[in-house]
Amino acid sequence: MRLPDGHNRETADAIIEIDPRGVVLSWSSSAEQIFGYSSSEATGRSLRELLFIDDHDSEPALTQEICIYEALRRRKDGSLLQVNVSRRLFRDGAGKLTHGVYAKRDITPLKVARDAKEVRTRFGALLESVPDATLIANPLGRIVLANSEAERTFGYEHAQLVGLPVEALLPERFRQSHVQHRSGFARQPRTRAMGRGLELFGRRRNGDEFPVEISLAPLQTDEGLMVMSAVRDITDRQKAEQKFRGLLESAPDAMVIVGSDGRIALVNSQLEHLFGYPREQLLNQPVEMLVPERFRAAHDGHRASFFRQPRTRAMGAGRVLHGQRRDGSEFPVEISLSPLETGEGLFVSAAIRDATERRRFEQSLQDASRLKSEFLATMSHELRTPLNGIIGFSEFLLDGKAGELNDRQREFLGDVLVSGQHLLRLINDVLDLSKIEAGRMDLVRESFPVAAAVEEVCSIASSAVRDKRIRLRQHISPDIATVTLDRRRFSQILFNLVSNALKFTDEGTVDVKVSRAGPSLQLQVVDTGIGISAQDLPRLFVEFQQLDSGASRRHQGTGLGLALTRRLAELQGGSVQVQSTPGRGSTFTVLLPLGAPETAGGDA
Amino acid sequence: MGITVLAIDDDPVNLKLAAEVLQADGHDVIRAADAEQALRLLDQHAPDLVLTDIAMPGMSGLELTRRLKADPRYRHLPVVAMTASAMKGDESRILEAGCDAYLAKPLDTRRLAMQITAILADHRQPGRKA
Repeated sequence: MRLPDGHNRETADAIIEIDPRGVVLSWSSSAEQIFGYSSSEATGRSLRELLFIDDHDSEPALTQEICIYEALRRRKDGSLLQVNVSRRLFRDGAGKLTHGVYAKRDITPLKVARDAKEVRTRFGALLESVPDATLIANPLGRIVLANSEAERTFGYEHAQLVGLPVEALLPERFRQSHVQHRSGFARQPRTRAMGRGLELFGRRRNGDEFPVEISLAPLQTDEGLMVMSAVRDITDRQKAEQKFRGLLESAPDAMVIVGSDGRIALVNSQLEHLFGYPREQLLNQPVEMLVPERFRAAHDGHRASFFRQPRTRAMGAGRVLHGQRRDGSEFPVEISLSPLETGEGLFVSAAIRDATERRRFEQSLQDASRLKSEFLATMSHELRTPLNGIIGFSEFLLDGKAGELNDRQREFLGDVLVSGQHLLRLINDVLDLSKIEAGRMDLVRESFPVAAAVEEVCSIASSAVRDKRIRLRQHISPDIATVTLDRRRFSQILFNLVSNALKFTDEGTVDVKVSRAGPSLQLQVVDTGIGISAQDLPRLFVEFQQLDSGASRRHQGTGLGLALTRRLAELQGGSVQVQSTPGRGSTFTVLLPLGAPETAGGDA
Repeated sequence: MGITVLAIDDDPVNLKLAAEVLQADGHDVIRAADAEQALRLLDQHAPDLVLTDIAMPGMSGLELTRRLKADPRYRHLPVVAMTASAMKGDESRILEAGCDAYLAKPLDTRRLAMQITAILADHRQPGRKA
C-alpha cells in the first residue's frame, strides 16, 4: 500500500531495550526509522514518554516473560501508528527484572486495511447516500472509507484515499495543528461542526485549496474510535456571500442583517462607522445593542412581529427613531426593513440612515418659517399704521369734510384712495397667509344663511367693475339654506373667486353656484373670461405667481388671492379645483365640508 | 348732540385723523400724544369716552385702560381701543384689559362717528353686559 508520508517502506522490526524502570537502553536503526527518534535522542528517556499517546495508555503488566500485542503509538512528529509488539523480559537469578527487549513492527497499513474492511461493510452503502463528501478516519487518523463525492471533491481515486492520513487533505500549513485537534477530538468525542467560527480549507490532490465546512461525528467500533467527517465545498456559497457582501458594502446606508433570533449576522463598514463598533464586536450579538436601552424591550416585540409578517417597509413610520453608538451617545435614525430569504432561514435586512442632519435642517426650516411669519405679522402692523392716515384722509377729503374739491382733485384723490385700499388688501392677504402658515388662523364656525352671504360678497365685488358689461348671477340650490362654516373665511374665498372672475372677464357672465355635494358645500364660480392655458394651471395657486407677470401685465392683483383661497379652503378641510379653456372661460370649484348639521331648504 | 372724546395716539397723523373725523361730525375731541398726557388731561376735562391706540411707547393703551378701570373716578368711562394689529389673541387681550370695544385700523372714517356714539349709547343703557 502506497502512503505519501514515507512510512510505507518495508522495515525490519524496531528493537528496543529498556531497563526495569522503562528507560531506553538501546534503540536500533529500524526503531529510528519507525518512530523518528534517533538513537541518541531516545537513549536514556522513558519509553512511555517517547511513544505513548497519553498517560492513560498502557501495555500488558510486566509479569509475563513473553507477550505479543498490538498498540497505538506515536511518532516523534506526532503522527500515530499501529504497532505489533513482541516483548520479552529478562530476570536475574533472584527473579529480579534486569531488562526488557521489544520488537516493534509498524502494522499501520494492515490496521488500515482491517479497519477499511470493517467500515466498508458497515457504512459503505450509507456513505454513498450522503450528498456531502464524507470520509471515515480510523483511530490512527488514516482514511479508511470515502464516498465517491469525497473522491470527486478532493480529486483522488478511492484506492488512493484509503490509508492517507486525513492531514493529506489539508493545506500544508494546517497539518501540524490538525494532528493535535484530532487527539483533542478523541478525548471528547461528540458530533459537532469543526472549527466553529474559523475559516477552514481543504486541499485537492492537485494542490488547489478550497473553503470547506466540516461536521464531525464519532463512530465507536471494535477497532476503536473512528471519526466520520462530512466535508462541504463552500466555494460557490462563499462567492455568493462575497457578492452579497460587496453589494452590502456598496450601499450608501449602514446595513445590518439580523436573524430571527435577533442576532446580527452581517454588517457593512458603513454600519461600523455609524455606530463605532468594529465588526467582530457586532457579529452574533443581539441587534438591540444598537438601540438605546429604554427602547430595547419594545424592540424585541417589534422584531418578533416583523418576522411574523415580513414585508419591506419603513420602521416606526412617523416616529423619531434613535440609535445608540458604542460611546453611549444617541442619534436620530431612519430605518427601512426588508425580509431576506436565505438557505439558512429568514433574515431581516435593515438599512439605517443617520437623520441628524435632516432633523437639523428641518428644524432650521421650521425656525425660518416661524421667523418669517412673525416678521410678516409685525410688518403688517407697521404698514397698516400709515395706511390708516392715507385711506382715512382720502375718504375724509373725498367726502368734502374739509371743503369742496374740483373734479380733477376728486379724481386724483380717488386714485390715492383706491391705491391705498389695494395696498391694504395686499397686506391683509400676506398677513392671512402668514397666519395660516404659522398655524395661528382660528376658524369660527357659525350658522348663517348662505344666500345672504353670497349676495353681500357679489354686491361688493361687482361695485368695482361697474364699467364692464358683465352679468353676475347667483344660483343657490334649494337644498342648502343655512350652513355652518366660518362665515368670514367663506366670504373671503367667494370674494377672491368672484373678483378674480370679474377681473379676467371683459364681457359675458359670471355665475356663482352654491349646492350640496355629499357631506360638503360646493361653491362654483363660472366665468366666460380669457381662461387659463394648461401649462399655467399648476402655478395658479402658488403664492406670488401671477400668470401675466411681466411687461405686458394688464391685470392688477397681488398674486396672493388664489393662493390664499386654496389655503383657506384646505384649512377648513376643503379643496379648490379649476377647469379652464383659454378664450372660453374658467370654472373654479370649492368643496367645504359641512361639519355641523344644517337645516334643509325651506321649500321642501 | 355732541360728545367729548379723549383721543390718544402716538402717531400724530392718526391722532389728527380720528380727531378731525369726529369733529367734522360735531363732537369735541381732546387730543393726547401718549397715555401719560391723557391721564393729566382727564383731570382737567370730563370726556364722555376714551378712544386710545394700543401700541404706544411708554404706557400702552392696555395699561392705560387697566388704570382707568381700577380708578373709581373713571371706572365707568367707556374705553374704545384702536389697533392696527390683527393677530390671534389681540382681541381677547384688549377685552381682558377692560376695553369696552375696539376698532380696527385703518379706521372707517365714514362710520367712525356712528360707531363711537353707538358704543356710548350701548354703554349708558342700563342692564348692559358687565
